[in-house]
Amino acid sequence: MGNLILNGLINGLIVGGVYALIGLSLTLLYGVLRIVNFAHGEFVIGGSFLAYVLFNSLGIPPLLALPIAAITFFAAGWLVYYVLIPRLAHSDDPEIMSFLMMYGLSIALAAVMLLIFEADSRSIDYAFTPISMKVGPIYVSTARIVAFGVTLAISAALAWFLYRTLPGKALRATIMNREAIQIVGVDVDKLSAFAFALATGLAGVTGVLIALVFPAFNAFSGAEYSIIGFIVVVLGGLGNPIGALIAGIIYGLAEQLATVFLPQALAQIVGFAILVGTILIRPTGILGWRVQR
Amino acid sequence: MPPKTNAVAPRAAEHDSARRIYITLAAIIGGVVSVYFLLVPVFKLNLAFHFYLMLWITMASAFNVASGFSGYMPFGYVAFYGVGAFTTAVLVQKLHFPVLVALPFSGIAGVVLGLLFAPTLRLSGIYFAIVSLALAGICRLIITNMPEEITGGSFGLHLGSRAEPVLSFYVMMLVMLLALGTFLWLSRSRLGKALRAVRDDAEAADMMGVNVVRVRLYGWLIAAFFPALCGGIEAWYTNVVDTETAFNTLTTAKTVIYAVAGGLGTVTGPIFGAFTMVWLDELIWRQFPRVNLLILGVATILVVLFLPRGIVGTLLRRRPQWRRYIP
Repeated sequence: MGNLILNGLINGLIVGGVYALIGLSLTLLYGVLRIVNFAHGEFVIGGSFLAYVLFNSLGIPPLLALPIAAITFFAAGWLVYYVLIPRLAHSDDPEIMSFLMMYGLSIALAAVMLLIFEADSRSIDYAFTPISMKVGPIYVSTARIVAFGVTLAISAALAWFLYRTLPGKALRATIMNREAIQIVGVDVDKLSAFAFALATGLAGVTGVLIALVFPAFNAFSGAEYSIIGFIVVVLGGLGNPIGALIAGIIYGLAEQLATVFLPQALAQIVGFAILVGTILIRPTGILGWRVQR
Repeated sequence: MPPKTNAVAPRAAEHDSARRIYITLAAIIGGVVSVYFLLVPVFKLNLAFHFYLMLWITMASAFNVASGFSGYMPFGYVAFYGVGAFTTAVLVQKLHFPVLVALPFSGIAGVVLGLLFAPTLRLSGIYFAIVSLALAGICRLIITNMPEEITGGSFGLHLGSRAEPVLSFYVMMLVMLLALGTFLWLSRSRLGKALRAVRDDAEAADMMGVNVVRVRLYGWLIAAFFPALCGGIEAWYTNVVDTETAFNTLTTAKTVIYAVAGGLGTVTGPIFGAFTMVWLDELIWRQFPRVNLLILGVATILVVLFLPRGIVGTLLRRRPQWRRYIP
């Protein structure tokens, strides 16, 4: 039992790291653009499929796929931003309408992936040597450990970017007060495009990690990750990057430990219940820090 | 309202004549539509197509009560539909109710579920949408994991040989007419005006003496009742229910997009929207079954980008004077 719990804790940390990255990119998007990106999960799975294609047809290992995914999805995000977002401002209620539009985008992207890859679950047959490592008394697959290392590196890089560089500070300032930052002379439109591209790029990278961490993915897994992203974002407080990081880890731990003690389906219900409960009882998230409007 | 002084008499007369035109129009259009649908089985037109046309009109119009009238975006709207479908299926299959007796219980189940979800009505905007989505997920998971003797687990339930396509078609028509009648009444009633007032400015409405909580709840329960009925009738019509189709998020997607395409906040909008989109769906689906899903997604994006107020909403913005006759 002790080993099972330790196993749950370590895997929870690894999975939680991936969830934290999803939440981090979603929360950045919401903070800067006031858009809850329903299609985020599809971008993530898109990253997984990119890694799958790179490995299966070109033999590029997943670790090398990381920068490729980052660049490809950054560019895709930039494009999607300019095609879709500026027009949204015309509608009466941009926040809700953007949610609906991203819902449509999510359906469309899932449909495209379904057309290309069919409905079967895919996985990447890439094995690190050694295939697993001993952490204390238990074995963890090397792929998962590598993924966790990458997660840590990305989180550190993002933290440095957000808190130590000028564009990062501008992003955080936009989250805090979108009007005021325009007075200081920041081009909010460009910054928003950058935020969207950054979040999408992160999603692509996270997708590659998911291909390493989880056994399989298919064209419809995206919605699942979007929901997990929502849970993490809400738990951490909408628009709060640090909150999303902590919430992601907490949710990963909770989910993995729940599968130790509860049946699978019940564990899923727990996830939804956390989401509903947090919004109803503590809408500012665990850190109690709210985006100013 | 009777005129109190002579000064307002001309306006009252104008109001009366507008009202007369409005009622005549509603009666004529309603009559033509009813006769058309009545004759569908007689002339052996495409029964399934018209059945689903009525189903979507009802769903989109009911959704409009929650969104257009009340200002909520329940992205888990399918919860009511699914619970309604399972209520009818379980009552018929396990407790051997006659279908027509079981159907009202579907409606009641929808209302009960609406009451359970009522605490979420204090949320707004994106928070409400996400919570609604999560609640629909919870409903699906609970029903999937109920003992197999009750809900049939992941295999679902078969209603056996109780399918009566023509009868269920007419019942669907009855429900649609009941729904549209309700919404027409609602749009002109005190409750409808109160709902819109609360949607636009809850605090101001409260100051005017509107009971905000109660008005919201009534609107919400009306919006919960009809999809549950639709779910029950659809279960009867197709003879089978399972959690994958009964709680399919695409049901919500279609409902929302049909209502938005027509125009939220107007009674006629969702009808037009459902009518147009179901037609398009039928035309396109026949040609390209493989890209059906993709088209739905792209259509959603296009509607939000280019027609955010919907067909009827855009028309009314161009011709505000028609507002009197077009509910």
